[in-house]
Amino acid sequence: MKKNIILFLAVIAFTSNAFSQAKKPTIMVVPSDVWCNTNGYMMEYDNQGTKVKIPNYKKAFQENSDVQFVISTIGNMMAERGFPLKRMDQVIKTLESNSAEDAIMSSKYSGMGASESPNDKLKAVAKADIIMGLTWTINQTGPEKSVTFVLDGIDAYTDKQVAGATGTGPSSFSAELPVLLEEAVLAHIDNFNAALMTHFEDLFANGREVIVRVKKWDDWYEDLETEYGDDEEELGVLIEDWMADNTVQGRFNTTDATENMMLFEQVRIPLYYERNGKQRAMDTRRFARNLSKYLKEEFEIVSKVTTKGLGRATIYLGGK
Amino acid sequence: MRINTSLKVSSLLLLTLICFTFNINAQKGKKKADKETVAWRYELEAVATGSAGTYQVKVWSYSKNVETAMEQAKKNAVHGIIFKGFPKKDRVQGQKPIVTDPTIDIQNKDFFEQFFKTGGGDYMRFVTLANNGQIGLGDRIKISKKEYKIGVVVSVNKSELRKYLEKAGIIKGLSNGF
Repeated sequence: MKKNIILFLAVIAFTSNAFSQAKKPTIMVVPSDVWCNTNGYMMEYDNQGTKVKIPNYKKAFQENSDVQFVISTIGNMMAERGFPLKRMDQVIKTLESNSAEDAIMSSKYSGMGASESPNDKLKAVAKADIIMGLTWTINQTGPEKSVTFVLDGIDAYTDKQVAGATGTGPSSFSAELPVLLEEAVLAHIDNFNAALMTHFEDLFANGREVIVRVKKWDDWYEDLETEYGDDEEELGVLIEDWMADNTVQGRFNTTDATENMMLFEQVRIPLYYERNGKQRAMDTRRFARNLSKYLKEEFEIVSKVTTKGLGRATIYLGGK
Repeated sequence: MRINTSLKVSSLLLLTLICFTFNINAQKGKKKADKETVAWRYELEAVATGSAGTYQVKVWSYSKNVETAMEQAKKNAVHGIIFKGFPKKDRVQGQKPIVTDPTIDIQNKDFFEQFFKTGGGDYMRFVTLANNGQIGLGDRIKISKKEYKIGVVVSVNKSELRKYLEKAGIIKGLSNGF
């Protein structure tokens, strides 16, 4: 009987472990700034006297069929590997339709619209966890043409390059540009994915790398140098201690620390946490929320947590 | 009449003998290939990038005769794509190996023995000889009294090969764990 119970418990433990999955990062192919600039897909605006140029992705997707072709080819290859891409052109359309929908929606009873803070508006942009920056240039020597292809995989939160593939393809007298582009994608995508795989393996072995910022509201009378607890330790040091105890192998860097803010980079958070006896996928929001709870329970500090995708969180101390 | 019959019988006998000899030679080539392949002595050279997930490579194998080298070339190409990858040549992009852990063949010894088995190993599903297996003029180099270095161009379907290894549980897929 005892044996049976042990076996049953082991099966349950194994099953709950086997079915827990880490949060899957989203990937999106984005034409690089260099490509947009070279091909005339930029817009200019006046930022308090300084002229700023930013890529006009919508125009690029509407007018350039080559960019559609390349992204579609990359998308096919990635879907085959079980990683369907987020299509930027579709995300732009969805954002526009959401915005139009929000503008006309009103409550049936009060006639009020949906709440939207300036922060909500700022966040309503096309985003993904990993950005595949795409650039190609056409090299022409007499009648011979070749394509130089650059594919960069950037972690959107840590700004680190996690994968990449570059090279110039064979030159041709007769092949059309799409043929050269397709060949370039086919020649580079496997190496790109191999680098991406190495990044994922590192993520599973050492935890997800994220960024956590701690800030304080202007009207909070305490700061990160205020001493708390029996040992009268500074709040900043107490937060660092919590980070050391809750990151994978205590891995994190305190990049900046003042009385008003702290910046933690290369923070390795575990991929899973346990809740109600079950393993669940961890993201930066949950990790920062745990720190926020600790501050409230131990020192009665109320805080607000904001996040950016899977990998960046900010905690504002002194109120919601 | 009798002469005609005996002529027929001898022709048939001769044909059977020829077929038998060819078969024995082919089997001999395959067995030799098996023996020589175990050493995995070969070099891969990029030739071209084919359609989705297919790569054309030149395999330089070392052998005493052409037949053995042809048989070895296919195995070596698949082995190279899985374990070694190949470097960039001129403007043709090189490729990284499918496996990142070099000890994976030791960990899955039985699987790979079956996979690379001559005459029935699954490796054959992912490789084809290019140019009907013809060897180029400069691709047969005598390196010693008895040994040749022979270059054979083959086409390997890396994409399907990767899927097969993922399905067999030898390697993890890109989305594994998410």
